[in-house]
Amino acid sequence: MLDKERIDHQLEPSLSGKTGRLSGPDVRDEFGLEALDMNMGPQHPAMHGLLRLILELDGETVVRCDPVMGYLHRCQEKIAENRMYPAVIPLTDRLDYLANIHNEHGYVLAVEDLLEAEIPPRAEAIRVLMSELMRLASHIPSIGFLMLELGAFTPILYAFRERERLQNIFEEITGVRMMYHYFRIGGVKADLPPGMPEKIWEFIEGLEERFQPDLVDLIQGNEIFIGRTRNVGKMTPEQALEMGLTGPPLRCTGVDFDVRRDYPYGWYDRVDFDVVTDEAGDVEASYRVRIAECMQSIRIIKQVLQMLPEGEVMADMGRRIRPAEGEGFGRVEGARGEFAVHIVSDGSDRPYRVHYRDPSFVNMQLLQEIVPGHYLPDIMPIMGLIDPVSGGWDK
Amino acid sequence: MAISLPEGDLDTRLERYLEGFRDRHELEEHDTKGNALKVVIPPESLQSVLATAKEDLGIIHLSFITVVDREGSFEFTYELLDLRGGRVMIKTAIEGEEPVIGTATAVYPTANWHEREAYDMFGVAFAGHPDLRRPYMWQDNFDHHPLVKSFEISTRRTFEGLR
Repeated sequence: MLDKERIDHQLEPSLSGKTGRLSGPDVRDEFGLEALDMNMGPQHPAMHGLLRLILELDGETVVRCDPVMGYLHRCQEKIAENRMYPAVIPLTDRLDYLANIHNEHGYVLAVEDLLEAEIPPRAEAIRVLMSELMRLASHIPSIGFLMLELGAFTPILYAFRERERLQNIFEEITGVRMMYHYFRIGGVKADLPPGMPEKIWEFIEGLEERFQPDLVDLIQGNEIFIGRTRNVGKMTPEQALEMGLTGPPLRCTGVDFDVRRDYPYGWYDRVDFDVVTDEAGDVEASYRVRIAECMQSIRIIKQVLQMLPEGEVMADMGRRIRPAEGEGFGRVEGARGEFAVHIVSDGSDRPYRVHYRDPSFVNMQLLQEIVPGHYLPDIMPIMGLIDPVSGGWDK
Repeated sequence: MAISLPEGDLDTRLERYLEGFRDRHELEEHDTKGNALKVVIPPESLQSVLATAKEDLGIIHLSFITVVDREGSFEFTYELLDLRGGRVMIKTAIEGEEPVIGTATAVYPTANWHEREAYDMFGVAFAGHPDLRRPYMWQDNFDHHPLVKSFEISTRRTFEGLR
């Protein structure tokens, strides 16, 4: 039964009053019509996970875009405070679930910073190898998602074919297809299985061959793709830095920043790679940056495979991990940008405070700043530019 | 590109940052370890210290804001990066039942959502913030802040007062 009062009560706080609407001037067009409030999501077929956008439309132009988050909030930081240090690693897998290895990497780096631990070289090499495979497994589907949102169905099939092959490799190494829990404080869970380096090499060679026809030639020159993405979500490097963007959304504006090169961790100071930038700063540029970054990942993987050292994969960390009082930081270049972890220890076997800086969360500020002025259908390509993951922005 | 990123040796750069802060502000404590400069300041001078960091010293990126509940006081860490290997941690602490600190959004617009998150999780208010709403928790009739230490994990506690 429709109870008008109840419906009013439910709608009222979200669309006006103290929650939804920001105070702003009334937007009226030449016919004196008011701006239209519209909800996009939280369950929307094209939305990246559970995100609700409160939009204010003037005709087809977006006047205001207000993201509402929290539909997947699990309060990871609170759960982590009540667990022992090694037991937090599987939780970090659930943050950015399309690129979980980077989250694990950031967390274990922070704990190792607290413990001032030394990691065996083979473990560090394997970590870099896994991180770059993960970057491929995240960038390639994100190109596919962008095209799917623009209405092209074929690229997502090619993208998921590659991700499937990568997941098979991950499954052989870690035993799991998605929530890997492979990194440990002091190393990695297990050595690569016999024959794995050759298998990865074979996959990488095949991927290089398939990449150009399947993901570049099919998309890059396409007139519809250019029409929908060129000059859409356009921003200047100053704007991008002010919004705190990192990762491909920052590099597509031309700012030359990559945590792997500027704040090196693990083996990244021993491998040779370029930081890819693009000048345009729109959706098309972010697509080009992701494509070129896949090529750089392939380059890093080949170098690591060529100089993979022998030896242990796990340092002896003792039975119980109990760091001294202090702070630890871990910072990695995730697939979506800078992923940082800040741990405060009080000397017990549980962290006193864990803070995650997730790139999806910070990069989403772009929606508030850049979307106003664009047409309604441009929102989806802009989401493809940020490429956020629900588990990341909601923690 | 109009943005100039810093160049030169990391140690001299960190030294320059420290000199810059010391000349303009009163520091309670400072410490350099590895690539990080740690500066402890009184909460009143937070905004002017951040303005010094960005405008005079050219540290353009605010990476994150961490709040730690020390049961009685709240400790803030502002992690700034110069994007070329240098890290500056600005630390301050405030006390009281209903803590208020100045906002960083005027200097670093990206602090907007970081501060909203901190407000949501800890109940610390940021004076002068343009849009201080809770990003995660219920926006109405929910007075709890889950990351303070006095908040216990329990389903019953979460819904108390809502029903």
